[in-house]
Amino acid sequence: MGETGLRSYKLAFLLPGLLTLLAIILFPLLFTIRVSASGWNATNPDLDWIGGANYAALWLDARFWQSLGRLSFMATGTVALQYVLGFALALLVWHDVKARRFFRVLFLIPMMTTPVIMSVIWRTILHESLGPANDVLSMLGLGPVPWLTSGGWAVASVMLVEVWQWTPFIFLLLLAGLISLPREPFLAAAIDGAGPVRTFVNVTFPLMAPVSIGAIMIRLIEASKLMETVYVLTSGGPGTATETSSYYIYIKGLRDFDIGYAAALSITYLVIMIVLLTVLGKLLHRALMGRAA
Amino acid sequence: MMTKLYLSLKYGAILIWSAFVIAPFLWALTTSFKTASGVTGGPTYIPWLQYEPSLSGWRSLFSSGAGGIDVVKPYIDSVIVTGCASLISIVLGCLAAYGLSRFTYRAGFVKNTDLVFFFVSQRIMPPIVLAIPFFLMLKWLGLLDSKIGLIFVYVALLLPIAVWILVDFFNGIPREIDEMAILDGCTPFEAFRRVILPNSLAGIVVAGMFCLIFGWNDFFFAFTLTFTDTQLLPVAVVALNSSVTPWWSLSASALISVAPLLLIAFVVERFLSHGTLAGAIR
Amino acid sequence: MSLQLHDIGLVVEGVAHLDNIEVEFERGRLTTVLGRTLAGKTTLMRSIAGLQRLDRGTVQVDGRDYSRLPTWQRDIAMVYQQFINYPHLNVYENVAFPLRRKNLSEETIRQRVDAVLEKVGLSAFERRRPSQLSGGQQQRVALARALARESDILLLDEPLVNLDFKLREQLRSELRSLLTQQQHTIMIYNTTEPVEAMLLGDTVVVMHDGRVLQIGTPARVFDYPASRAVAQVVNDPPMSFIEGRKTDTGLELTRSVTVPLPPHLRDLANGNYRFGIRANELRLGGSTLQGRVTFSEVSGSETFLYLDAPTGPLALQIEGVHVLEEGRNVGIEIPADRLFAFELDAGERLLAAPATGAAS
Repeated sequence: MGETGLRSYKLAFLLPGLLTLLAIILFPLLFTIRVSASGWNATNPDLDWIGGANYAALWLDARFWQSLGRLSFMATGTVALQYVLGFALALLVWHDVKARRFFRVLFLIPMMTTPVIMSVIWRTILHESLGPANDVLSMLGLGPVPWLTSGGWAVASVMLVEVWQWTPFIFLLLLAGLISLPREPFLAAAIDGAGPVRTFVNVTFPLMAPVSIGAIMIRLIEASKLMETVYVLTSGGPGTATETSSYYIYIKGLRDFDIGYAAALSITYLVIMIVLLTVLGKLLHRALMGRAA
Repeated sequence: MMTKLYLSLKYGAILIWSAFVIAPFLWALTTSFKTASGVTGGPTYIPWLQYEPSLSGWRSLFSSGAGGIDVVKPYIDSVIVTGCASLISIVLGCLAAYGLSRFTYRAGFVKNTDLVFFFVSQRIMPPIVLAIPFFLMLKWLGLLDSKIGLIFVYVALLLPIAVWILVDFFNGIPREIDEMAILDGCTPFEAFRRVILPNSLAGIVVAGMFCLIFGWNDFFFAFTLTFTDTQLLPVAVVALNSSVTPWWSLSASALISVAPLLLIAFVVERFLSHGTLAGAIR
Repeated sequence: MSLQLHDIGLVVEGVAHLDNIEVEFERGRLTTVLGRTLAGKTTLMRSIAGLQRLDRGTVQVDGRDYSRLPTWQRDIAMVYQQFINYPHLNVYENVAFPLRRKNLSEETIRQRVDAVLEKVGLSAFERRRPSQLSGGQQQRVALARALARESDILLLDEPLVNLDFKLREQLRSELRSLLTQQQHTIMIYNTTEPVEAMLLGDTVVVMHDGRVLQIGTPARVFDYPASRAVAQVVNDPPMSFIEGRKTDTGLELTRSVTVPLPPHLRDLANGNYRFGIRANELRLGGSTLQGRVTFSEVSGSETFLYLDAPTGPLALQIEGVHVLEEGRNVGIEIPADRLFAFELDAGERLLAAPATGAAS
């Protein structure tokens, strides 16, 4: 835009937001870095200096690395499921179905709810003896499932709740994308006699590539913070079966008050996440865009 | 292509997922009317047939005495904190997003796209990384357990969302319109206020909705940074989870807490069907 | 009141978008800036408006340095190529918008808006939104808004280029009468079409590659293009150029083709020159030259022919409908008394031009 007399305006627009964000985020970040080089814990609540001792310790902390593994599995698993289901749902209520606007509203509802609160409800549902989940299963002749008391099933339960909660998010983004697609390619495909499957593979999916990438990346970023559902549903258990990295750091920092160590864990975790997500983003971009080309 | 079979499969799938979506609400609803006998013997579903319905769960919401929960105070606190934080985030976000959309910034090697990335990347921060420093910071400022302290923190969380959505939206408005306004005698700020903002209502509403959703639904920061003076809904409800609260009160409080945002689903769907959402969300 | 551009220069990534521009505009006059796409017309216009920074030079209004003023304090109205209106306002409010910024009374605003809307024929559409109007109507709203301001300077950047042919012609003649009524405004009109430049302007500024090549009345620029580059810009269909040699007796256009020496070229020194001839002055038939048809197009009641001849490519504009297939050989006559002569060096400036005759 124009150049004359603009400089003060340029800054006036950007700075209020930028400075606010910097002020609120920068201090905590720098502080955490500083604390991570200290031995601040419950018995020694002081900002002393122990250098990289915390970081050395966390290299050997198997529990931390296992939590990362678990988190990766759960995050990618749920996002993959959410993507497939979300896409299917978006296609289902895109056109030709009666009362599709009603169903669209219905399908959006879970993402508007408070995740922790719904987790509280799910906890009652998945209760082994008093909850309806096992009751309904037994009506179908299937055995009771130890939803929250067995390692593998606990992971499945957390993933189930996450899928219920967040599939609508991807559903929304994909549906918005579908609605704004141009008609011509579809008319061309219909003229060529392509059936629903071929139309999807050759027209719909490639055209939706950019929206898909955006939706998946955003969900991955949010899913990588997985902690609240675990807190309410399983408290990381049974044992450490559903302990994600965020949950582990929470335990170390806010329950055991090993603040110095928790800070080191936090910084390491943050760096790993940034690197992983950036790489994943680029890979995803190449994969989906390459397909579309 | 539109065979009967295909169509009935479609409806079938839709109904299955609909059932999955509704199930927790139905369960919570029916549980909220139960008493001990409706719960301890095993799951029950149909009132009057399988259990005697009672209003004790719902009544307990408004009594703050023993056995009571009192959702009124948490409700008010949640509304105030979420509302203020969203408002501030939208205002600051609009300004910043407009700047990032229209002007070129350069400070060393940092450019516009880097700045947008900086805003958006704040979302990668796991709450835990910020929770302890925020705790200490608010303690030092004497703002622990206060609405203002929490609003402060929430703005940091919601501002990135607002900027992310609004930058995209503003980019979709042709620059020539800004220029026309400036030629017609508006300062850049007047151009923003009189011309760009009125044409951005859809984007602002979408950004506002996302701010409200993420703000209302936050648990972790409210959990770490507030205790008794300020209590937000999610914290209040989850606190019930760990103590020996009867399921009926639990269900009732859960339902009443998530109810307000359900209205937003309607608004979002309307925007979706009118095509304006596509531009904002892309 | 006058607008003076002095030594304007702008370089972007090593390429000169504007170079050494020196022009003066007067109040009440309509100046057309004629040039091909990317000649720098829009850049120049935006510099005057303050939307484009300059590396060098000054923009002065009545001796005052305009570059000190931010755009919103200059009194400039602009009509864009794309139909730019405020989407959220109806037609009346669109036109009234700049007037409100000036804090005029509601009365005055109403008077002016109504008068202008009447002039552009949109009185009945006051309450409509731009999105409910056709392209031509939207551009009229933009024009109305620009005119209602009665500003010092009015800039029009190829305003008709996005309209369809018929509409363009209609609006062009309307524009002509509208603009000649503005007695207190400096008006500048960008176009790529010579026809528009000739029709609308009191003065034509010919631009090419960021430079001003010539300034003059339409007749002057057309009859005496300062250089080959100007002749190329100003003629549509294009002028044909032939390199040749002048001797005492005639003009050698190729080894075998010679035309007699016309009176207006007699005073030229003998030597090599670039000769030019307009498309509508070349004739079919005759035996001066043979050419092979490479492209032919019938448009209305005229035919455009592009030929390959020993002297180089030629373009002809002939009356009537002639169907000539590609590859066919035709005879061409070059009336020597209609030839332009340009210097055969870097500048290729005009050395001699044919008599103006009955034209403009």
